[in-house]
Amino acid sequence: MMNELRKSFHHDLDDVRTELVHLAAFVTEAIPRATNILLTGDLEGADYIISGDDEIDARALDLEERCVQILALQAPVAGDLRQILAALKMIAEVERSADLVCNICKAARRIYGHELDPSLRGIISRMGEQAQQLYISAIEAFVESDAAKAAAIDDMDNYLDALQKQFVQAIFESHSAGNIDLQVAVQLAVVARFYERIGDHAVNIGERVRFVVTGWMPEHKGAARYRTRNADDTGEITRQALTGDTAAVSPTGFPNEPNTPGAGG
Amino acid sequence: MAVLWLIIGLGVGAIVATVVANQRHGRERTAANGTVDIATRAANDDLQVHLARMQSALDALPVGVIVADADARIVARNRASDDGAGDSHNEVLVQAAVQHHLRAAVRGEDRSQTVELYGPPRRVVIVHARPLGGRGAVATIEDVTERSRLDSVRTDFVANISHELKTPIGALAVLAETLIDETDPAVVSRLADKTVNEAHRVAKIIDDLLELSRIELSGDLVVVPCDVPALVAEASSRNSYAAVQRRVDVRAGDIPKGLTVNADHGQVASALGNLVDNAVKYSETGGRVTVTAFPDGNGVTFVVADSGIGIPTHDLDRIFERFYRVDRARSRGTGGTGLGLSIVRHVAGNHGGAVTVESREGEGSTFRLHIPDRPVPAS
Repeated sequence: MMNELRKSFHHDLDDVRTELVHLAAFVTEAIPRATNILLTGDLEGADYIISGDDEIDARALDLEERCVQILALQAPVAGDLRQILAALKMIAEVERSADLVCNICKAARRIYGHELDPSLRGIISRMGEQAQQLYISAIEAFVESDAAKAAAIDDMDNYLDALQKQFVQAIFESHSAGNIDLQVAVQLAVVARFYERIGDHAVNIGERVRFVVTGWMPEHKGAARYRTRNADDTGEITRQALTGDTAAVSPTGFPNEPNTPGAGG
Repeated sequence: MAVLWLIIGLGVGAIVATVVANQRHGRERTAANGTVDIATRAANDDLQVHLARMQSALDALPVGVIVADADARIVARNRASDDGAGDSHNEVLVQAAVQHHLRAAVRGEDRSQTVELYGPPRRVVIVHARPLGGRGAVATIEDVTERSRLDSVRTDFVANISHELKTPIGALAVLAETLIDETDPAVVSRLADKTVNEAHRVAKIIDDLLELSRIELSGDLVVVPCDVPALVAEASSRNSYAAVQRRVDVRAGDIPKGLTVNADHGQVASALGNLVDNAVKYSETGGRVTVTAFPDGNGVTFVVADSGIGIPTHDLDRIFERFYRVDRARSRGTGGTGLGLSIVRHVAGNHGGAVTVESREGEGSTFRLHIPDRPVPAS
């Protein structure tokens, strides 16, 4: 009987993972589409992507519901709990990224008919490719439960950030040369921000993958710093208020098993 | 395609029949209290062989085949159905579409969908799911990327060639009609000037078309040892007038003295000339074009790099098509015929070499033409 239950639980978990990967693949596919829509002024394509977002929203909600059900009905612990918690967080990241892709398409509608300098177009296509690359890495890290690949996403994001800065500089140059007006310039700056945010969401997914695999996330470092600082100032009270009972083992397996792959699973 | 469906149908039928038969044999065995009679074992072995053969036949098919049971759970698939290794996002989307349609097919619906994936790599697949009479469903995945690419090449070619040929001829007709009634000598001379320009344009297109068909049709290459530095110098000087006009600095890079390649001199010179011509045309005023060449094991690679406007990523794999234009509105400004790069591709193909391009908008383009050494015919 117990075995049957566990089997169905892991089946549910696999379903959640598959559906999450599918949602993320949807976004990965939409990024280069949006870039091309932006560069070619494809209004029809923009409408297609924007109307497709409703489907992503619906599926993200369904998936969230399933995670909540698993949590409530199966009360998983350790590695399994981390999987579900991470999935819940990742759904939000993917859903938000899909919104950003839509925003790029909406910006395409606003700058429709304005000719852009080749240098601007070149950086836009670079940003699109890099954002997609980050997302591909994030999915691969998740599918393969590869903490090292997940950690590398952060470095890849630095390049995307650098591209964004370079793009803003190019916008200034194009604007001062009189090639684009202020409205288009502002729209483009916002577009660069969208790509940069998509990259950040991919980084977050990578961090969640690391959490699932090792029970540790980069944020833990900062959190630990904060706790030590506060312990000096106000003593133990804040620490306990933040984490509940720190003496007990956290149900997710943290912090008693940091950096051990597959801990408690 | 009909034959294919027959094979798939046979294969799937056999798998389902075998599964059913196996279950029946299983029952017989239980009834016989663990003893297996020889006839049953022989039948079992036959079925095993048959099943293995059918799986091999399915694996040999170029289309992906996925069989599901009545609950839409996948029970068999062939090799072509999952060559994407499952990790790329393209493959995830294809498999999701398959699952989706299989669920409908087990309910008795016949479903087909063309899935266009933006990639990279760009892919177009047709997913088709059919019911198997209440015993499940079968889905096929057919990759039609190449077919749909060729389709768009063909339709665009017709549209582009009529655009390129009709525009100057239409202009000639209008100019000539205006000239008939015109008496003001100043206007007549201006119109005559324009007529000459348009006539030159048509002549250039016809020249290029003839050159292209000559290169396409010429069966035998006239292979001679070609002096590479001289080829490069010739290509850069042939374009010097256009370069001076646009103030584009064309320079030859460092090429090892005495470097030669055994190839058709006329064709390689034409290809290289077209590459440089292109680089100059798409450079901004004051830009720079570098032409260089280096030996690369079994021949020579020519590199033509410019600092021009670059090519959109989206168009990169199409620019070698006849009359393909990245920006049709700009085509008259550059004065090209839209045939230059297809001439280059044909020359590369005739020599068994290749031409590749790397480009980024706003950063310029780099074309690499690899010409392998051909055997020189003994005279």
